[in-house]
Amino acid sequence: MKPLRAMSRWWKVLFRRASTEAELDDEIQLHLEMETAKNIRGGMPADLARREALIAFGGVDAIKEAHRDGRGVRWFEDVVADSRYALRTFRRNPLLAATAILTLALGIGANTAIFSVVNRVILRPLPFPSPDQLMMLAEDNPEKGWHQQVAAPANYLDWQERVPAFADVAAYDDRVSRQTLSVGEDPVLVSRANVTGNFFSVLEVPAAVGRVFRPEETWGSSSNVAVISYRFWQRQFAGDRAIIGRIVHLNGVATEIAGVMPKRFAFPSPDADLWTPFAWQASERSQIHFRRAHWIRVVARLKPGVSQQQANAQFQGVVRQLQVEYPETNRVMGADMTPLHDFLVGKVRQPLWVLLGSVVLLLLIACANVGNLLLVQALGREREAALRLALGAGRGRLVQQSLTESLVLSALGGLAGLALGWLGTDALSALQPAGMLPVGDVALDWSVVGYVVAVTTASGLLFGVAPAIWRGRRAPADVLKEGGRLGSEGSRIRRWANALVVAEIALALLLTTGAGLLVRSFWRLQQVDPGFDPKGVLAVAINLPPARYDTSTKIISFFDELQGRARSLPGVTEAATVVTPALTGIGWTSDFHIAGRPADEYGTEVVHRTAAPGYFRVMRIPLRSGRVFTDADRDGSPPVLVINETLARQYFKNQDPVGQRMAFDRVPDSTSVWYTIVGVVGSERQASLAIEPRIEVFTPFAQAPNEYMTLMLRSSVPPTTLAASVRQLVREMDPELAIVSIDPMEALWSRSVASQRFFMTLLLAFASVGLALAIVGVYGVIAQVARRRTREMGIRIALGARATHVQWLIVSHGLRLVLVGLALGIGAAFGATRAMRALLYEVAPSDPLTFLIVPLLLVITALAASWLPAARASHADPANTLRTD
Amino acid sequence: MATPSNDILRGTLDLLILKTLTLQPMHGWGISQRIEQFTRGLLEVNQGSLYPALQRLEQKGWIESEWGATENNRKARYYRLTRDGRTALGTETDSWRRYVSAVEWVLGTS
Repeated sequence: MKPLRAMSRWWKVLFRRASTEAELDDEIQLHLEMETAKNIRGGMPADLARREALIAFGGVDAIKEAHRDGRGVRWFEDVVADSRYALRTFRRNPLLAATAILTLALGIGANTAIFSVVNRVILRPLPFPSPDQLMMLAEDNPEKGWHQQVAAPANYLDWQERVPAFADVAAYDDRVSRQTLSVGEDPVLVSRANVTGNFFSVLEVPAAVGRVFRPEETWGSSSNVAVISYRFWQRQFAGDRAIIGRIVHLNGVATEIAGVMPKRFAFPSPDADLWTPFAWQASERSQIHFRRAHWIRVVARLKPGVSQQQANAQFQGVVRQLQVEYPETNRVMGADMTPLHDFLVGKVRQPLWVLLGSVVLLLLIACANVGNLLLVQALGREREAALRLALGAGRGRLVQQSLTESLVLSALGGLAGLALGWLGTDALSALQPAGMLPVGDVALDWSVVGYVVAVTTASGLLFGVAPAIWRGRRAPADVLKEGGRLGSEGSRIRRWANALVVAEIALALLLTTGAGLLVRSFWRLQQVDPGFDPKGVLAVAINLPPARYDTSTKIISFFDELQGRARSLPGVTEAATVVTPALTGIGWTSDFHIAGRPADEYGTEVVHRTAAPGYFRVMRIPLRSGRVFTDADRDGSPPVLVINETLARQYFKNQDPVGQRMAFDRVPDSTSVWYTIVGVVGSERQASLAIEPRIEVFTPFAQAPNEYMTLMLRSSVPPTTLAASVRQLVREMDPELAIVSIDPMEALWSRSVASQRFFMTLLLAFASVGLALAIVGVYGVIAQVARRRTREMGIRIALGARATHVQWLIVSHGLRLVLVGLALGIGAAFGATRAMRALLYEVAPSDPLTFLIVPLLLVITALAASWLPAARASHADPANTLRTD
Repeated sequence: MATPSNDILRGTLDLLILKTLTLQPMHGWGISQRIEQFTRGLLEVNQGSLYPALQRLEQKGWIESEWGATENNRKARYYRLTRDGRTALGTETDSWRRYVSAVEWVLGTS
């Protein structure tokens, strides 16, 4: 058929249905009139003439139906009619419809929210041109247990120059630092990311205003430049374009603003307010520290048409060359090439898939529940269906109508779910622990909408299938004969309902077991001793601008004075500085050698920290042997160390470490500095609560000053109440200095488990909803059973049965369903929880306690849900129940 | 409910309508009268079944319709043969003849 005609036909059918009908009426009317007139002309009386005309015409309604079918869009008209009918049905039974829609909305809403995160983080490509060409280059070192570690700048430069498959290679420091920026008088804190000059051009993102860096700006020169984020531009400069070329003071250094990045650019961190070039000195390249200190992340862009395998082969070749050329630093230094996207989402990928799996389970439970509701409803509408069948409706038509109803229901649930999910998406972006997801914004887009439409349709078909099949199968004569009461045929519908409840229990068990494992795991994390006492401690991070604090003396005297004056603040009992508070990360590590050991025996990866003498007392870290630092350990006095217990246990097994000496070279030579161990202290967990303490040495602050220190205050009052007086103190000492952060140690402690808490909370919420739905499902089915057997129970009680015995008849029915569901669910859970292994802390995926408690919880709640209707039924007066029909 | 005899009938009816409309545009009742005349009442057709057939032919593009007035000034829908319809009538007539002669040959040889 020609498209134009087809279109006009559809148009007529869909929008001019009424006029098409009227035209057909007219035509038939005219026909009958003319035929009647002809008959009259032939000599018939008027009424006979009319009747003969009708007979000659045939059944008018049958012809009209045939005509309607002939329009070719009958199914569509049916769907419209069925949908209208469905909406009318919902209006007649609003409670049922509302329950079903709400249940679906919960399931679909949870799916919308979680899928939009999965979509944004995992499925969507990185927001850079040709993102597949971007590779993360990182260092691997089997000896130090490194995988995908930060790289040394000298290695980066060699990779950039020597691998022909790379179009260009950029680098950045992924530790975004907090620094002060002054425009005029007021200092503001900014998050600064250091990058190479070609950073933006490798990512192929141009500036929104002004320019990005030039490749040569990797190297230091007299002028300093910065590129600022769109957000910071709006916040600080109100989007003023004249900002380009302005000079601001960044940590006291005059810096020119060269450009503004586009709104969505948020790399390496959504927090970054401004980017600056590394400004390395060309002379550094040949120095050993440039190849020994590992601290930059490296991103390569492949040349077009080069495969990842080709590039990696060339890259590994260069890495091997460097091992030979620089044995001192690169002897066992391997390297790894991973697509940038994989690298960035690696850590959250598994938790997100687990979350998505759990919301799918939740939706399945919701579907089973709604399916059950509809079955009960179908039961009530038996006679209606039977009557339709008897009047000649096809069974297919009944099934279609039933499915249409389900789909209308799921569409309403889907709409409500989409709205719920939209709110949920906002909540997720707001609640996620800072920096957990590598994206700043999670929003709905078309693929999310597509997903929602798909799950909505799938669930409509899923929960609609049972009632539809069942309705299509019933023999109308039976139903009408039964006179509205269900006889033997009702057992089939009960089997369906039982099956749905069993499925719900199994799914709920699966979901709750997953949540239970995370709760157990989080509980174990809470029990972990961090190695210090976080209660009542405030951590005040301060970063001295090197431009003004350019000598060790200035740095030492500032922090000494700060510490001294802080001790006299009201409420402060003790104060001391440290370079990186526990649980916030590893500052730096090195190799080491212990004096008197064989020349080729060395250790790797010892953590270094600098602390003032009072630090261990402030944190209540126990002294195991020797002494802690004193004020006598100053510049010029013999270099000393305090080591942690972990180091003592691992490297001084049958020896007292106190008095031993260490140097921080793999192979010490005449230039090595030897440090004497003066004490051993308890181990703190440095990186996070979930990571065992690592071997560590402390150097006294006075011997190793650092401009980036954290003042730790122990107080007799709630630590947050000190914040104002600490700010005042710092302002008095240096009005231009901005405090980087003030956090109670308990907040840092809680932040170190924030992502575990986040995932646990989400999964727990989903599991609670799933469990509640499943229990409601059990309740619904048992309530039906109780209602059906009320008469029987009345007879039994009348004949002398005890109420508890009669209740047990009903409760045992529920128990049987729950036990079958549990058996299925436990089997599935044993398999499925293995996917969660990486999310668990010191809890096995088949943790016996979880696998005991969760099913028990289900049995108890299900028993309660079964007992309720049973008790109600058994307490009914037998005389009444027997009389009712 | 399509049975073979109905299919033959339906094809026949379509053919008769097309043939009738070669004379002039007509409304439904007129067509039914003309067919009755042609077939001398030998083919028993419900007059009503004309309308689904007209709809079918119109959808195929073989006929088209417009509203006009009868001699008595009643509003009526007039059907007219299109060019496609005229071509179709030719091929349909040929295939009908082949069909009839095939059936006759079979009946004649047994």
